[in-house]
Amino acid sequence: MEPFALLSLIIFLPTLGAIGLTVFDKKAEESMRMFALAITAATFGLTLFLLGQFDIAQGGMQLQVNIPWVPTWNINYQLGVDGISMPLVLLTSLISMLGMMASWSIKEKVRGYLILFLLLETGMLGVFMSLDFFLFYVFWEVMLLPMYFLIGVWGGPRREYAAIKFFLYTLAGSVLMLIAMLMLYFGSGESTLTGGQNIFDLLKLGEIAKAGEFSSGTQVVAFILLFIGFAIKLPAFPFHTWLPDAHVEAPTPISMILAGVLLKMGGYGIIRIAMPICPYGAQYAAYALVALGVFSIIYGAFAAMAQTDFKRLVAYSSVSHMGYVLIGMAVWKINEATGATVNPNHWQMGMAGAMFQMLGHGISSAGMFFMVGVLYDRVHHRDLNKFGGIMQKMPFYSGLAVVIFFAGLGLPGLCGFIGEVFVVLSTWNFSPLLAVIAASGVILTAGYILWTIQRVYLGPEYKGPHPEDLTPINGRETAIALVLVVFAVLMGVFPYQMGLKMMTPSIENLTQSMSTGYETVHEAGSEIISMSQP
Amino acid sequence: MSPDIYIETGTTLKWLLTTAWLLPLAGFLIEVFGGYWSGRKSRAAAYLAVGCIATGFVCSLIALLTWIDAANLNVSDIWQNPGAVAAASHEVSEATHADHEHDAHHAGAEHDGDHEHVAPSHSEAEHHGHAVHGNNPLKFAFNGTFYTLAKFGSIQVTLDYYIDGLTVLMFTMVTFIATCIHLFAIGYMSDELTESYEDHQVHLPGGKHFHRPGRFYRFFSFLSLFCFAMLGLVLAGNIFQVFIFWELVGVCSYLLIGFYVERKSASTAANKAFIMNRVGDFGFLIGLMILWTWFGTFQFANTNPDQTGQQGLFQMVRTDTGEIETEGEGLNRVAYMQSLSGQRLMGNDGQARRIPYWLLVVAGLGIFAGCVGKSAQFPLQTWLPDAMEGPTPVSALVHSATMVAAGVYLAGRFFPMFTPEVLLVIAYVGAITAFIGATIALVVTDIKQVLAYSTISQLGYMMLAIGVGGWLAGLFHLITHAFFKSLMFLCSGSVIHGCHHEQEMTKMGGLYKKMPITCWTMWIGVVAISGLAIPITLPYLGAIAFSGFHSKDAIIASSLSFSTLNPTHSLLFFIPLITAGITAFYMHRMWFMTFFGKPKDHHVHEHAHESPWVMCGPLLALSFFAAFCAVGGESGPLAKLLLTSEPTHVAGGLQAAGNIGLNLPSHHDIHECHGQAGVMALLAALMGAVIAYLFYCKQAVDPALVKARFESAHRFLKSKWQFDEIYDAMFTRPVHVVAKWCTGFDREALDRFLHSCASLAVGIAQWDRKFDEAVVDRIVNVLGEVTFAAGRTLKGVQTGRLRQYVMFIAAAVVCLFVVLFLFLPR
Amino acid sequence: MESVGLSGYLIVGAVLFVCGVICMATKRNGIGILMGVELVLNGANLNFVAFSQHTHLGLDGQIASLFVIVLAAAEAAVALAIALNFYNNHLTIDVDRAADLKG
Repeated sequence: MEPFALLSLIIFLPTLGAIGLTVFDKKAEESMRMFALAITAATFGLTLFLLGQFDIAQGGMQLQVNIPWVPTWNINYQLGVDGISMPLVLLTSLISMLGMMASWSIKEKVRGYLILFLLLETGMLGVFMSLDFFLFYVFWEVMLLPMYFLIGVWGGPRREYAAIKFFLYTLAGSVLMLIAMLMLYFGSGESTLTGGQNIFDLLKLGEIAKAGEFSSGTQVVAFILLFIGFAIKLPAFPFHTWLPDAHVEAPTPISMILAGVLLKMGGYGIIRIAMPICPYGAQYAAYALVALGVFSIIYGAFAAMAQTDFKRLVAYSSVSHMGYVLIGMAVWKINEATGATVNPNHWQMGMAGAMFQMLGHGISSAGMFFMVGVLYDRVHHRDLNKFGGIMQKMPFYSGLAVVIFFAGLGLPGLCGFIGEVFVVLSTWNFSPLLAVIAASGVILTAGYILWTIQRVYLGPEYKGPHPEDLTPINGRETAIALVLVVFAVLMGVFPYQMGLKMMTPSIENLTQSMSTGYETVHEAGSEIISMSQP
Repeated sequence: MSPDIYIETGTTLKWLLTTAWLLPLAGFLIEVFGGYWSGRKSRAAAYLAVGCIATGFVCSLIALLTWIDAANLNVSDIWQNPGAVAAASHEVSEATHADHEHDAHHAGAEHDGDHEHVAPSHSEAEHHGHAVHGNNPLKFAFNGTFYTLAKFGSIQVTLDYYIDGLTVLMFTMVTFIATCIHLFAIGYMSDELTESYEDHQVHLPGGKHFHRPGRFYRFFSFLSLFCFAMLGLVLAGNIFQVFIFWELVGVCSYLLIGFYVERKSASTAANKAFIMNRVGDFGFLIGLMILWTWFGTFQFANTNPDQTGQQGLFQMVRTDTGEIETEGEGLNRVAYMQSLSGQRLMGNDGQARRIPYWLLVVAGLGIFAGCVGKSAQFPLQTWLPDAMEGPTPVSALVHSATMVAAGVYLAGRFFPMFTPEVLLVIAYVGAITAFIGATIALVVTDIKQVLAYSTISQLGYMMLAIGVGGWLAGLFHLITHAFFKSLMFLCSGSVIHGCHHEQEMTKMGGLYKKMPITCWTMWIGVVAISGLAIPITLPYLGAIAFSGFHSKDAIIASSLSFSTLNPTHSLLFFIPLITAGITAFYMHRMWFMTFFGKPKDHHVHEHAHESPWVMCGPLLALSFFAAFCAVGGESGPLAKLLLTSEPTHVAGGLQAAGNIGLNLPSHHDIHECHGQAGVMALLAALMGAVIAYLFYCKQAVDPALVKARFESAHRFLKSKWQFDEIYDAMFTRPVHVVAKWCTGFDREALDRFLHSCASLAVGIAQWDRKFDEAVVDRIVNVLGEVTFAAGRTLKGVQTGRLRQYVMFIAAAVVCLFVVLFLFLPR
Repeated sequence: MESVGLSGYLIVGAVLFVCGVICMATKRNGIGILMGVELVLNGANLNFVAFSQHTHLGLDGQIASLFVIVLAAAEAAVALAIALNFYNNHLTIDVDRAADLKG
């Protein structure tokens, strides 16, 4: 299949499905659900087909599409995938499918829900595949609105508050991103590489940065703007407080999407846009980034420990886990004198660890939210102090849940381990102090996860309301949980085959391009210094 | 010589051990899923688990035989050049001979100086052999890679295997003990074979006992998973892989301690075990980070005789003579890395690669911190006694014989990486742990708790031995301890089973008639751990003693020779010596209190019964090994097998090149003081045993009186040296407080800031509305109003009276004229 | 005979004009006001004629005065018609009663 047709179909098939949903009879909720599930499944199938077309040994951008959209402004409909976006595209379509399967618990306004869900999927896939900054921005905003309504309409008691908080936070980030985007757009016109044209092409912008044609000042400012925009989505301390509220209020499948995919967009944005286009800025802020990541890990873990709401706890665990992503990307050590990268392999390892952590967290946190949702659907509360003894009533479910929670804990052999440990191992090269603090996170993580397991699953009997509703999980729920567990195990046991192999060439390309870009700007800077000295 | 033999033997060993390793995993998967969907009364899971682990044992046994065959006959010449073979084999036989005689003599409390010339030749020959074949501080080992976990440029993370004598021996030991314990558990856990198991320890609010379906299958599936993880740990070929399986055995231990999930105490103990292990693993991780950053590899060593590929950690850190090549002083001191060919390793930039010496120390301490956690060493020992909440077979397998010994195993395996500073720390930690564990064991009355504290104490012994350079003694004791401690745990399990889950020794007594097999097998264990022996030697067999005597003797001898060489550290000899006496006392106390004297609780005594054969059989098998596995002492087959994997510099004995002047004893030094140490240890043990006999069997002294006399000391020991309270106050509570702070910060600072931003925005909006209303609108309105008012006022002028209009016109014209005349320029 | 001079005419014209204005302003009778209008117009006519005689205007002034006379006739006709109509409606020709134009 032509790349244009394939990529466009992957992005817009959910939209087509959303349009198709409008012809259904209002009463036919079951068939609408099945139809929407079929659409997400087909999208997942298409992404698998895309994986088949994808050459994992190659580091560059593949299956590129480039069609002028608004030629006057050099805005293109430009798509493509590489080793960094491909795994995230797969994760998105997988989690969307599982989220759709979990959507049977939505009983009200089903059609509207399904339509918004499918539009959301379009937005997410578009973000991961677009190579044009403007297109990226459009998809970024497209994804925002359905999410707002999904939380605000189908959410819990404080849904309006949570939805508005989510919306405003993300919008604030978008605005900063927009400023940076325009800075780079008009900055690109001064480059020799573009022939005086202003461009939105991310790859071209990366090349300009590699050639060192963005000034150090521009890079620093643009990077900080972009970083704050993406850090809100990640979320990193202190931009994280929308997350617990959004998660607590969102319905289960939306929490899965939110934790499984949306948070990854922050990381993806940093790795795809902020870092390659502003290598100097990235290096300038590297220590702050790592420190912020370390602080997020510790802070999130502590905050998780003090929660009594099950979903809030999982939400804070996400803050903690995404800290590793931030660290892994930024462990870029340079030689102060020459500007050359020290031990690039360790940095690559950190970046791969960050990427893998995103995938692993996508599986484990989606799984954790699903497991919470299964309980919530039955007993309609999430108070950790009122649980206990679930293992006695729902043994199979509890077994699967414990595996997922251990994946979140970072147990070897499950998906959370590889990302965390790779990031931590690569951090010593950057800063021993921060590495040690980051490593201490393993104790806290074990603390709150085990305590949660003890309070919810272990113990003799369930102490909360509606004990009679604790029925064993049904086939649909088992299927979702099993898929997640299988992925968690496979990714933990075969990390190289399940992702790292695909990412490594692209990450090598990225780090090399950034190193070159930094060195060029660094040399220019040192020349100025040497010239100014008599 | 030829790599063909190396590859052939290595491949055989690899496949045998891999089979033994992976079978329990397959067993686990079948058991856990099959068991869930099958009946609760089926024993199939147990048979499958036993089948898997027994097959694993057979494989390991074949591997052991292959190893012995290779190490003695064919393979020894792979690693040595043909010329050295004859000398080496000669040297080995001579050394063996000498060892025999040493053993015989020191058992007889004598020492003859005329063997001195033999031992140096031993180490000399070894060094010679190594000098010939480059930098390979390990005698025989096979290593290779299973598959890659990740690859970044020149560095990669892999799953490897590393097989030497220690690996094979550990495999055999673990699989054998595990098989025995699996069999025992079939009997012990048989009351789980029911649809409705009544748990007497869980009280529901209604005053009823808790009922649940039996979980027989689950127990065996967890045991299988544990076996898989433990064997993986032993087979691991790099330190990262060790870490992986380290965590996996930790989680298996968590699952097994918390097997009775409905008991709060059990789940809390499980959490405690896991989290305290994680504290150790935090240190482990720091060690890994340093190694990874500076060495760029995790591999232990590359032992391929072709000397192709990358060198491993052991080869990088030490030269062929076992030295760490350093330069500089204090914090500026650096250690140079070595290459396979025996030269300094060059980096990509053409400089010799080196690592700050203090980082090497920190890395060693970090890895050792992991061992501290796993082996329940001071200061992380408190989880192990709590772990006794698990079923007794678990205590026997996981918390005495295998998993907790993994820390010692790793300390032994990673020995070449430890600098003298680290070794000294290891020695002191071991000594302190041995003492603390033994003292607490004096006062506890729960039969499993006594064994738990004794385990802590014995693990301390092993660490001490490794720390003072007695590598062989430490690992020797690891193996013998595994046998006699798992034996004793199973005996205690048999007692508990026979007394219907009564664990308090104060309610037992006089059980020897009811449970003769248990009683006498346990006696073997007690004697073995106490280190009692008959001071007569037999030709070729050494002293008449059970396994524990030989190994403990070796440890005491190592520490004595160490403290002789380093007089400032003589405490490292006296603590283990005293502890040896205490050990004998409390073990006999336990034995006498349980099996002898008058029955203290008639209800318990009347219902007590000997266990079925499925439980007694393993007892007998284990007691055989507990008694005889170390036959021949340090010149026996077990020790010789271990010696094949001993890192070279240990055997050599050296003026260790650290920042602190330390001398590590050589084999020769240890032999020299063997006799002296043996006598002292034996006397201490005898004293302990006799006192225990007087206290608890003859009742010559009333223990209650002693207790009253040393009231405060007793209370201090009863409260386990206050560790739990201190940790609770120092860590647990502060963590919760900080956690509260964090959420408070989120709510009070971040969210409040956001909310005030929002309020500010709303305030501005309201002000903006007021401005609009009060200013902008007002101006427009006023303008209109003024116009309107002006019109209304002027309305009066228009009277409609024509005459007036005319008047106005006229007046206006006149005015116009006047104005024109006045102002217009003429 | 001595020529009267321009100013004499102008004075007479002005007197006529003022008389007409006063008549318009004071008379309440509509007919009286019409008479005042005639006086004003004639005062103006006198000025036109006088200017045409004594300045370079030529016949223009006389033509203008002819126009005025014609207009005055027309105006008188219309005004008288109004007055009659007013009388028909109000039974009076007192202009003070005709305050319909009052704003």
